[in-house]
Amino acid sequence: MIEPQVAKARSMRSDGPTRRWRIRPMGLRSRILLTFGLGSLALSLFLALATFNFTRSNLVDERTGSAIDQTYTNASRLAVDLRSNPTNIQTVLERLGADRPLVYFRGTWTGNDARFSSSVIPPSFLNAVLQNRQPTTMRIEVENELVLAVGVPIDSVDAAYFEFPSVDDVRSTLNSVNLALVLAAGITTLLGIVLGAIAASRAVRPLTAASQAAQAIAGGRLDTRLEETEDPDLAVLTSSFNDMASALQLRVERDTRFTSDVSHELRSPLMTLAASVEVMQARRDEMPERAQVALDLLVADVARFQGLVEDLLEISRFDAGGIRLNVDELLVGEFVRQAIAISSAPDTRILVAEIAEEMMIKGDRRRLARVVANLIDNGRAYGGGELEISVFVPDDEDPPSQIWITVEDHGPGVPQDERDLIFERFARGSIAGRRSGSEGAGLGLALVDEHIKLHRGRVWVEDRLDGLDGACFIIELPAERV
Amino acid sequence: MGQDVVVGTRILAVEDDERIRAAVKLALEDEGWTVDEAASGEEAAILFLRQPADVVLIDIMLPGIDGFELCRTIRRASDVPIVMVTARADTHDVVAGLEAGADDYLTKPFAPKELSARIRALLRRARPAHPAHPKLIFGDLEIIPDEGKVLRSGTELHLTKTEFRLLCELAQNPGRVFSREHLLDHVWGYGYFGDGRLVDVHIRRLRTKVESDSANPRHVVTVRGLGYRLQA
Repeated sequence: MIEPQVAKARSMRSDGPTRRWRIRPMGLRSRILLTFGLGSLALSLFLALATFNFTRSNLVDERTGSAIDQTYTNASRLAVDLRSNPTNIQTVLERLGADRPLVYFRGTWTGNDARFSSSVIPPSFLNAVLQNRQPTTMRIEVENELVLAVGVPIDSVDAAYFEFPSVDDVRSTLNSVNLALVLAAGITTLLGIVLGAIAASRAVRPLTAASQAAQAIAGGRLDTRLEETEDPDLAVLTSSFNDMASALQLRVERDTRFTSDVSHELRSPLMTLAASVEVMQARRDEMPERAQVALDLLVADVARFQGLVEDLLEISRFDAGGIRLNVDELLVGEFVRQAIAISSAPDTRILVAEIAEEMMIKGDRRRLARVVANLIDNGRAYGGGELEISVFVPDDEDPPSQIWITVEDHGPGVPQDERDLIFERFARGSIAGRRSGSEGAGLGLALVDEHIKLHRGRVWVEDRLDGLDGACFIIELPAERV
Repeated sequence: MGQDVVVGTRILAVEDDERIRAAVKLALEDEGWTVDEAASGEEAAILFLRQPADVVLIDIMLPGIDGFELCRTIRRASDVPIVMVTARADTHDVVAGLEAGADDYLTKPFAPKELSARIRALLRRARPAHPAHPKLIFGDLEIIPDEGKVLRSGTELHLTKTEFRLLCELAQNPGRVFSREHLLDHVWGYGYFGDGRLVDVHIRRLRTKVESDSANPRHVVTVRGLGYRLQA
């Protein structure tokens, strides 16, 4: 029955309040890849086009030149023949032995191939040869065959001579060249993309290293540095990153040492205070009433002071990373009972599930006892009513791998938006004002959080599992069945 | 041993901070004990020779010869119970102090009530126990509880009072495995939250005395995950 509530509270906690939606800009890696891809595509297209044009004009020019030469030769021979034998043109043409000849002489067309008559010749071409008396060439397509039409005027006998040599083989050659060039362009583009991918990953690698280092530093390993590089472009990044890390480390260490030094210095006067107060307490009955009241105040605050200094010392140990756990195997039910017994409320009710009696955790018993004691102190200071502590396996997991220790009170509960905040140092939340404001140093829950993290567990607060008013602090620790 | 019968219990408090010393002295005197003060290790060593105490309280952080060195110096001359005061419980200091010969430790700042409880526990067990048998024999090892004597192959061994109590506890039920918790409770008077390292270091120290080869113990045997056992 408690399941849905737990699930709800958890999902709410994981929902960050600042979620921003926006179009993701293209990553560096993609940009490099795109640049290389497009660049190689453009370059290979340009090269292919240039090669194609060059090859084509070369081939065509060569063919055109020889065709024109041939046609001229034939035309001059025809001129001689026509003058001596102007009537029988057909015979003259056959004697010429030319390939697809066509003659215009005294208003009539004569050829020996029906496909190549005057009708296949475009009018402009015809005009240029017959009217303007200009030798002309033009590529035309006749019945799917590409031919070169060459026309030469023969002024001496007022005739014109045409030939239609085939250039179809040039076209198939050009087609092959074309195919080869397209393939080459494709391969080049692919190579460009591959190169781009390599370049991108090389370019991003130092960034990956830097981001990993930054994460390590954020995670507390302050001595993390980037490896020195000889690359002048990266050396700037590396050295400024390392400088920043050193500065940060120095500052954190100085702060930590300061906290630690202050706490150590405070311990000596505290020792004196604690011992003196005890001596006075032994003589409390001999004191006047007003002095007794003052002494009681003193005793209570010396104890509070002592707790605060101990918490500060412990916190500074966490910051310095100098915590060493004395790990023992603990039966969790027995452990929690013992921890309650030495806390400020040894009579706190505890409910241990049957299976939890056989569950074992690995932990530092004195530090974990502090955790339980701190949660009890917190519940007494800010909660209300009787505290209840339960130990059980969540979700009836089978086989069980976790144990929950819950501390529930009957107070006002913790508002949703303060549930993360109260585990921060000295952050007591707005409700602290409404509760008894003088109690609690605000380090207790921060220490609980740190200790539980060190034991690879989690701690959080939510509404009471049974739906009544009040807060429920939940510790989750890895555990196993004995 | 010389200090079995004392009119008032004498405590030597070694602490360089004058005010702490004065306040602790006041608190301990409230318990009815006589307190001698020393501000340095050198002073303490001289004072102890002139006027042996029943319990010595040593702050590890001392100018001049430090607390560890003072522990060793006193240990060479006496089996007096030593309580040391350390800065932290989770450093090597605790183990180093115990290995230097301390019987128990407290971390600063401690409540004087806690200190007197520790001192009482040490004094209680410093008196000879009343065992069922006058003489216990484990191979070459011979324990005479009434006289507080232990002999190996006929030669008397010099055990501190805590080591002797630990050995007697194990000897009470030969072959049985004693957990660290049980030993902490019965020898040091600690509950569930006692420091298991007290047992481990004292077992180690005991072995260097009762075993012919302490690296391969024959008598005081570790039972992995359970505790310790005494055998012939």
